[in-house]
Amino acid sequence: MSTILKVLVIGLQAGAVYSLVALGLALVYKATRTLNFAQGELGTIPAFAGYLVMTGFRTSGEPVADKGRFWIATIVAIAVGALLGVLINTLVIRWLAAASPVTSLVATAAVMLLSTSLAVIVFDPKIRRFPQYVGGGFTFPGTDVIVSWQTIVTLIVLAGAAALLALLFRTPPGVALLATAQEPFAAELQGVSVSAMRTMAWAIAGVLGALGGLLGAGVFASIAPGFMTSTFLIPALVGAVLGGLTSMVGAVSGGLMLGVIVSAANQINRSFELGIPGTPQVAAFVVLLLVLLLRPRGLFGQEA
Amino acid sequence: MATETAVDAVVEEEERAAEELARKTLEAADWRPSTRGVVARVAVLGFVLLLILASPHLVPAVYTNLVSRAAVYGIVALSMNVLVGYAGQVSLGHNAFFGVGAFGSAFALTKMEIPFLAALVVAALTGAVGALVIGAVALRLRGLYLAIVTVAYAFFATETIFNIRSLTGGGAGQPAPRPSFLTSDVRYAYFCIGILGLALLFDWRLTASKGGRAIQALRDDERVAASWGINVTSFKLLAFLISGVLAGVAGALFASTEGVATPLDFPFALGLTFLVMTVVGGAGNRWGVIQGGVLFALLPTLLERSHENFHVFPFTAIDATAEPAIGALLLLVTLIFTPGGIAQQQKHLLAWLSFKRWTDTRESTGMAPGGMGARP
Repeated sequence: MSTILKVLVIGLQAGAVYSLVALGLALVYKATRTLNFAQGELGTIPAFAGYLVMTGFRTSGEPVADKGRFWIATIVAIAVGALLGVLINTLVIRWLAAASPVTSLVATAAVMLLSTSLAVIVFDPKIRRFPQYVGGGFTFPGTDVIVSWQTIVTLIVLAGAAALLALLFRTPPGVALLATAQEPFAAELQGVSVSAMRTMAWAIAGVLGALGGLLGAGVFASIAPGFMTSTFLIPALVGAVLGGLTSMVGAVSGGLMLGVIVSAANQINRSFELGIPGTPQVAAFVVLLLVLLLRPRGLFGQEA
Repeated sequence: MATETAVDAVVEEEERAAEELARKTLEAADWRPSTRGVVARVAVLGFVLLLILASPHLVPAVYTNLVSRAAVYGIVALSMNVLVGYAGQVSLGHNAFFGVGAFGSAFALTKMEIPFLAALVVAALTGAVGALVIGAVALRLRGLYLAIVTVAYAFFATETIFNIRSLTGGGAGQPAPRPSFLTSDVRYAYFCIGILGLALLFDWRLTASKGGRAIQALRDDERVAASWGINVTSFKLLAFLISGVLAGVAGALFASTEGVATPLDFPFALGLTFLVMTVVGGAGNRWGVIQGGVLFALLPTLLERSHENFHVFPFTAIDATAEPAIGALLLLVTLIFTPGGIAQQQKHLLAWLSFKRWTDTRESTGMAPGGMGARP
């Protein structure tokens, strides 16, 4: 019983971050039919921006995590995320509108490579401490499983982001965004500015990415160049496919589910002493193959 | 009446344009370089060939292995080209096929103690098996979804397959010794260049064969290809098989260059580099992708040497760590401005070197019309 609970808690902690990244992936995919491989970097770079705010703009200082400074860092990180999202769209994706989706995927992979490499040049490939929003945790009643407050915060942020996105799609700009996603030409005829809608989608994806970066950094209480891409991007991608690439509900549930699946796979590998290296990658690969071969549109997706 | 005349005029104009095009095409087909032209072309080609053949002796002794590496990357580029350029299937996880070949060869050399050339065959087989796994998936999925699967496969391979201790030696790696007749670096470099030559020959005969044309037809349109009686399943698997064999052999050569294969030699970033060099070189054109491969094999060392020797602005700021950033920038510039890559920029030169007119670019770059089909 307590093992199952532990698996769930660990799974939800990582899964909530997967879901935040997956939400950004799904939103951009819905609006621009681009699978954004740089979504992880939309978390890494804002996290580093927040880190710089907390160290007083020194590239290798100890972050000062008093409350005021931390909130400023959060706001700066979110702004940087939004700006970065808009920049990627304006400088790269817009020019490839006529190309195939795979071409724009390769382009975002290039953005990811560029961003990771620049981060390594500026910050060196070393691990830095990064504060959590709330330290510590509490023991789940009746068991010895410790739930960290960080997990609760991440889940609350995820729920908030998902609720706001759900609300957005009921407002005029949200409907315009949906129209752009479904049929850009017809939307343009109805007076919707397709390019503005796409910019908005990328900005929101940047904000979601920044939130994911700040909370993902909290999982290990540390950051390193490219950490969001290497740790969270692939599970988030698989989670998004599992939930259905165009569905927001799917992104949230897919990310959480994958978190639990990975955590369960780790636990099984440990308790039965199977000694399989890289269990999370095996689990993600198997889930991806099963979903794509059995139900390519995912659990909540409307189309293949 | 007036509209009819206008229509007639348009039709006439179109007919004239078509005639003009046909005339030009015929003329171009008949065109042969003059004797002086032939001599000039042979001289340039001979010089380039000589330079390549002399390169193991020309470079300083510490860099002889770099020549081997450039040849290996050239083979990988040809392997990528079969998938990305000819078959139109994207692969972001080519480091997996490459690594499977490397560990296959290392295992055969160390654990089974079979001769080097037999180990190359083992590498080709394991590389083919590694690629056919993805090929089987590609029968069901295409485009974006296939791309995602190749990425997940690359991570699965680097984290799991390459860390199975009994097969790959775990973190310490598996030794891949060279045979006695190739222990000298110079000889090994010649061996790698020779294999690259064979791969090139194979690639050339492939594109000239029915099978090669069938694979290229899949890239342009699978349904149309099927309607022409091309067996989509077989030829798609054939493309993955060929790509896997080439990548596996390249992996084996790569492992024996350093004498050991470790899991860290084949990270996901390497797979991205392979894709970058293929696209930057010009997917679909064998001369372009080989240049892309050689460029990216040498780039880290070039950057490091420039950083040490030139004390002017761009070189003081960047060293070998900037290689992925430069690769990424080159890729973005290529995708947005010149989808045909290096091959597109050199189209006149390549036409001239293939004994055509300087301005005649038909087929010489091997690109689909418009160059879009060759995009990844």
